[in-house]
Amino acid sequence: MTEPTGRLAAHGLSKRFGPIAAVEGLSFDVEPGQVTGFLGPNGSGKTTTLRMLLGLVRPSAGTAEIDGVPYAALRRPASVVGAVLEARGFHPARSARRHLLACTAAIPVPDAAAEEALQTVGLAGVADHPVGRFSLGMRQRLAIAVALLGDPRALVLDEPGNGLDPEGIAWLRTFLREFAQRGRSVLVSSHLLAEMEQTADRLVVINQGRRVYQGGLAELRSSAGPRVLVRCAAPARLAEALARSGITEIDSLPDGRLGVAGADPVRVGDTALAAGVAVYGMELERVDLEQLFFRLTAEQHRDGTPAPAVDPAPAVDPMRQWAPR
Amino acid sequence: MTAQLGAELRAELRKTFSTRLWWALGIPVLVLSILYNLFGALFAGLDDGPASTLVPLLSLAYTMVLTSVFAAVAGIVGAAGEFRHHTAATTYLITPARGRVLLAKLALGGLVGALYAVAAAAVGVPAGMIGTGRLADPGLMLGLVGVGMLIGALWAGIGAALGIAIGNQVGALVSVLIYLLLVDRVLALLLSSAESEAVAALAGYLPGKAADVVVYGFLADGLAMPGLGRRLVEEIATVRYPPQWWVALLVLAAWTVVAAGLGWLVGARRDVT
Repeated sequence: MTEPTGRLAAHGLSKRFGPIAAVEGLSFDVEPGQVTGFLGPNGSGKTTTLRMLLGLVRPSAGTAEIDGVPYAALRRPASVVGAVLEARGFHPARSARRHLLACTAAIPVPDAAAEEALQTVGLAGVADHPVGRFSLGMRQRLAIAVALLGDPRALVLDEPGNGLDPEGIAWLRTFLREFAQRGRSVLVSSHLLAEMEQTADRLVVINQGRRVYQGGLAELRSSAGPRVLVRCAAPARLAEALARSGITEIDSLPDGRLGVAGADPVRVGDTALAAGVAVYGMELERVDLEQLFFRLTAEQHRDGTPAPAVDPAPAVDPMRQWAPR
Repeated sequence: MTAQLGAELRAELRKTFSTRLWWALGIPVLVLSILYNLFGALFAGLDDGPASTLVPLLSLAYTMVLTSVFAAVAGIVGAAGEFRHHTAATTYLITPARGRVLLAKLALGGLVGALYAVAAAAVGVPAGMIGTGRLADPGLMLGLVGVGMLIGALWAGIGAALGIAIGNQVGALVSVLIYLLLVDRVLALLLSSAESEAVAALAGYLPGKAADVVVYGFLADGLAMPGLGRRLVEEIATVRYPPQWWVALLVLAAWTVVAAGLGWLVGARRDVT
């Protein structure tokens, strides 16, 4: 038996609930040594995907593998993957310690692991209180404690930031980064990019059950390309001229300027000159990630056409596929 | 395998005894047992005839049947509670082999069911002695506690399996109680009124009636009162042509296996969301 690596992979995962396709043909992988952010708006299928990965929900199609085998085939799953799924998974009358001790018995690991986990998440002082009296943040911490009991190679967390106070979020971020730095893998879902920006090395972005991006956070940032912000005499005429020359990604900014993506200042200046529009100033601006995330997930595919699956590849300019609505 | 099931058993043991449910449900068992055996014995104490022996035994037998209903409730609430409190996800994450979780829950349910029978007898028999001033047929009483433990364990197991199969705690409770207290009896009545002896005899094979037949059949066999035996079962359990008590016990065990199969089939396929 080789040492577990904590590598997670989804191949063509799909899940239908009646007529509703929650997840469709989703593939991605999670490598050790990194924090992988699993990003998508609420209702985009993140929870269903994570539960398929963990063998709690049966996929309608596709497979999910941990260390190359389905979750159910793991010999000691708690020593391979620790999962933080929901803060409500506790009997309200059972104390935190008793909850952990039921888990240590089942895994099985020595009961000392429960005390250690309580220390790690900072709940040792309230370990004998019934969980029903815990705040949402304390329950999240307890869920993390449960996940740590088996000393797993990988952590899977579903929206762990929910209910945590800023201090708790900072603690969680540090904790996950250190966990990954020890060569273990982390898959953490969120609907907030800001939460991921300081935590994740890689991103898997999904929308409506389909993957719209997989790759490094740095690559996503650089793939965005700069925008040219133009202050000019007649924004509408310039926009028209730009559109005629094939540049369609143009936003009107609140301050009256135009934000032009997919063009450099030279081309914008030449087009303005040709259109006879006076230019008062130009500035290069990097698109921030929040905006990118919004573009990635704003697409509504009510007609059922597949969302563009965008992966960083040097030959393709991903921006072309992220046409605004 | 054995070592692993040991781990699941230990986990279920810790889960069961870390909430109030097991003793909270045990309280009505104790109270009802005391009341029933005390008043039964007070009646019996009124005369010196055979009733003074028979009534305390019948009271204990009835207590055992009643206890098995509470055992079923404990089994249901314990197992379905995992879904109500969303702890099933954690349980299945640690033990993805859901069949093993089911077996551990059956075993724990059985333990609690048997425990209830012992506890009911432990307070019921002394309460009866207050009434009659003596212990009627200790051997037979001990035997009744034994069969009471068995039907309590089996019905708690049925409850645990159905709790997993149904998932919804209230739904499981209501359906099992309605079946046990109403449907089973009506079915038995309908079957018993059939012309054919073979059809009428089926009543004793229903899961609820089988438990009655075990207890009253065991009692009837143990009483040295010829001719009374079968009439006792027919009158009190209201079952015509009842099977032997040990046959009824096997029938109840078979029903437990059926419930476990259902829990396994449904539980293994359920999406835990």
